[in-house]
Amino acid sequence: MNVPLNIDWQQILLHLLNFCILFGILYFFLYKPVKDFMEKREASYKKQHEDAESALKEAEQKRNEYEEKLAGAEAEIAAMKSEAGAKNAEERARMMEQTKTEAAAILESAKKRGEMEHDKIIAEAQREIADIVTTATEKIVLSADVSKSYDEFLKSAEGNVKNE
Amino acid sequence: MSKKKKVIPIVIFFVILIAIIVGIILLGKPAPRAESLSETMRDAVLHESMKVSLFGLKDVNPGLISAFAVTAILGVFAIICRIFVIPRFKEIPGKFQLVLESVVGIFRGMAKGNSPEKNKVLSAYIFTAGAYIFVGTLFELFGFQAVSTSGASIPLPAPLADINGAIAMGCGSYLFILIGGIANNGFHGLLGTIKEFSLPLSMSFRLFGALLSGALVTELVYYSMYLSFVLPVIVGVLFTLLHALIQAYVLTLLVSIFYGEVSEKKLEKGKRKKKNKEKNNINTNTMTPEVSK
Repeated sequence: MNVPLNIDWQQILLHLLNFCILFGILYFFLYKPVKDFMEKREASYKKQHEDAESALKEAEQKRNEYEEKLAGAEAEIAAMKSEAGAKNAEERARMMEQTKTEAAAILESAKKRGEMEHDKIIAEAQREIADIVTTATEKIVLSADVSKSYDEFLKSAEGNVKNE
Repeated sequence: MSKKKKVIPIVIFFVILIAIIVGIILLGKPAPRAESLSETMRDAVLHESMKVSLFGLKDVNPGLISAFAVTAILGVFAIICRIFVIPRFKEIPGKFQLVLESVVGIFRGMAKGNSPEKNKVLSAYIFTAGAYIFVGTLFELFGFQAVSTSGASIPLPAPLADINGAIAMGCGSYLFILIGGIANNGFHGLLGTIKEFSLPLSMSFRLFGALLSGALVTELVYYSMYLSFVLPVIVGVLFTLLHALIQAYVLTLLVSIFYGEVSEKKLEKGKRKKKNKEKNNINTNTMTPEVSK
């Protein structure tokens, strides 16, 4: 068969065979190992990226949680503060009341004591006056001199006053 | 003084150079050629006379020998890489590792970009095809010699400058697309591939034409001795390096585009309508609040 351009089917097949062999060699010895290596590296980088992403997400979540907790804690602190304030005021009021009653009691007792003292002094004075009066009357009766005895009475009364 | 001192040796050097060149041109008798220019050109296309014996089994075009040589070179390179380089790959790549990774990455990216659904085999295929075309085209630059059946020494051409190699590459790629279409899409894939019946022809002859033209121009330039100073640098770079890159890129891109088209899952009509409806719903939903505002 005379084909134009000297095309030789056998040689074409030989070229094809050659190319197939080349394909096999290049695929198994060069292309596949390089591709596998690249894919492995890509996968490892992807994994790293994903890990980092998930870690970031977790951290974000935790931060949110803590922020919420912090906000809760602040509210709690405020509540505690107000409660403590209320308790304090109550305590103060109670103590004020107590001191007031105590002061009133002290005052009462002081008053009582003062009155007692006062009564005692008056009683003593009365007794002394009675004594003076008795002595004076005794003297007057004994001397019978009215004016003199009157003077003496005055004198003795004066002296008593001075002594006191 | 110092400037003059510097200039003088340079001038002398160039004078000697020119004298030698003139001497070569005037005195040299061109060596007797194995074939005339027209024969050389014709043979570059048809390979009628300059055949190479393949282990004594068959007389083949030198392109086939080049193809085997390229496979051997790439195979040795791959095995060396597998044994010495790849086990020492690091997380942060070194220079050579970076080169390997970026080459693999380029083809993977191309496969993924053009065929988003199925691209595992495709990326391996275009990696091999790209490497084969690139290295095969550069192979021409080294000018490895082979002995033809007539006893003359011929430089090995690029494997794809041989029409058999180009057809093998083009039809092989078409076959690969066909298999991919059937495997991923069944009957639809088969029809989709057959629809592009001109693809093997266009792919084969694109490769063949591009590489052969480079080979022919190079051959033409090298045939005449007067043109073999300086000019081959430009010609070599233009028709070899650029071709290597461009052809590798074009074929791999074409294969991945067609593969992607053929292996793409076709949505059934009902499903498509439903999808469109959903889309419209979404659009109206998103539109209404704006309108009400």
